[in-house]
Amino acid sequence: TSQVQRGMQKLTPAQVDQKTAEVVQYFLVKDQKKIPVRRADLVKHVVKEYRTIYPEIMKRASRTFDQVFGLKMIEIDAKNHMYILINKLEPGDGASPIKSPTNPKMGLLFVILSVIFMKGGVVRENLIWNTLKKLRVDPGEKHEEFGDIKKVVADEFVRQRYLEYVRIPHTEPVEHEFRWGQRADVEISKTKILEFMGQLHEQDPQSWSQQYREAHSVSGSTQPGSSSR
Amino acid sequence: GKEKASQLFSEGTAFDPTAFAEHLLSFMGLNRLEDGEDEQQNGGAAGGYLPQDAWHRVARRAECCFRSAPAFHYMMGSFHAEPPPPKQKIE
Amino acid sequence: MSRQMGDSHRRFLQTMMANGIVDEQGARTLYQYCCETHNTQHAPDKLDDFIDAINSNLQPMFMQIRKGMSEDNGHQFYALVNMTETVVTRMSSDYADNELELFRKTMDLIVVSENGTASSTDVLNSADTLTTKKLKKSETEHLLNRLVHDKWLCENRGEYTLSTRCIIEMEPYIRAMYQEQIKVCHICHNIAFQCQICENSTCGIKIHNPCVARYFKGRAEPRCPACEDFWPHEIPEVRRPQSQSRR
Ligand SMILES: [Zn+2]
Ligand SMILES: [Zn+2]
Repeated sequence: TSQVQRGMQKLTPAQVDQKTAEVVQYFLVKDQKKIPVRRADLVKHVVKEYRTIYPEIMKRASRTFDQVFGLKMIEIDAKNHMYILINKLEPGDGASPIKSPTNPKMGLLFVILSVIFMKGGVVRENLIWNTLKKLRVDPGEKHEEFGDIKKVVADEFVRQRYLEYVRIPHTEPVEHEFRWGQRADVEISKTKILEFMGQLHEQDPQSWSQQYREAHSVSGSTQPGSSSR
Repeated sequence: GKEKASQLFSEGTAFDPTAFAEHLLSFMGLNRLEDGEDEQQNGGAAGGYLPQDAWHRVARRAECCFRSAPAFHYMMGSFHAEPPPPKQKIE
Repeated sequence: MSRQMGDSHRRFLQTMMANGIVDEQGARTLYQYCCETHNTQHAPDKLDDFIDAINSNLQPMFMQIRKGMSEDNGHQFYALVNMTETVVTRMSSDYADNELELFRKTMDLIVVSENGTASSTDVLNSADTLTTKKLKKSETEHLLNRLVHDKWLCENRGEYTLSTRCIIEMEPYIRAMYQEQIKVCHICHNIAFQCQICENSTCGIKIHNPCVARYFKGRAEPRCPACEDFWPHEIPEVRRPQSQSRR
């Protein structure tokens, strides 16, 4: 827009580059703990007096993530304007010679997302807690690897937008249900989950016909763009 | 909602979280104990103990389902560089 | 001018992000793997060129893949480093303010020490002097474990040293902050923490242990490269990189 153009004219290219770098850094810092970037915070803490050229800076930051890092900036919540980074590179065919460290919490998250998906998209919280108990993770006790389970699952994963944890109305005592969060929708492949399910149960993934259709439907298999050339 | 649930029931295999947990325990490398002492305590689940890296195994296998961005960690620049500390050399 | 990157470069960079540091051998096989995965030209002797292309694109963000030597075994490593301090970089959430203060106190102890180490006792004692927020003994121990796990410190029998990753990233900072106290290796001219020192009081040059090993290898009688005095320390063996060398 012309407002952006006018704003750009008042700034040197070096100033715009500097601000773009700060926005990139901010995304990288927030991604250390997988916290989505909220536009209001980004403007308040980083963009500041450059707000008139905000669209241009976001365009450049997005291009940097794409072309330098192989990452994609995605708006996951159009109402609250929240952004995350996801990977554009497919996992390699062969095993990488450098084994990157794994985060055991991702295993925990994977189990929860799998149960929700396999149960049709929404489950009562008790089903999750009971399944975790069978896996020796008791939400009532401090886990030696995960610490406070309730906090990790119903707070951390929710803030990261991997999960939604919502109160079911008119329940006494209070009960909640879990769904996939907006981050999970774009970051996690239902097709691949189903493949793993098939492997675990020694069963054809297609035998879960409803889930199979869901995984292979357009919305269920959001392909976040193939790699740029 | 309701429609989905009835479809799940009428076609295809139903998903059983208990069976899933059992399969997953095996995948995690559960050492099943000979005597079923622990069984009551674990609410019917098989007894035994999980190896140290149990959740790492799940995480490693699940990696290919995630399109997560790797994170950048650094030490330099994470705190304010202050002027040099007072000289501690004893002359 | 930044050079064009392909997916092979991006994959290499992503692996550097996930690991922080890889040894030279690992970087070589990773380079080959990335090229093969994306069907691009792989020239075994062009690793540094390949990394330069990435660096030219990282430069605007004040990031870099930088090479440095391990003080333990003398092998070369590549680390992904941050090169700037801004309001934004200080928002990093890996460590709390008091944890960072304790890390800096540990660094102070290591820099002023004779042999480049700090004992856990000394670190625990300095935890009592934090100005931000005190850390309990158990919290300090937990923090030290995390710093080792995250590859900022190394621990051996209760003695802490700066890791290779830490030295590579923090070298400019350490040079600026500790001008008076730092030691510089007479052979490779990089800063030295664990090193041997010439005992001639008018000389007193320092040499990294692995640089000592390489310099005196095959020499009949070890003499100081600066003052020619007899070099009285034990000469360590040159450690060859194995195909799967450890950090
Ligand atoms: Zn040296
Ligand atoms: Zn000398």
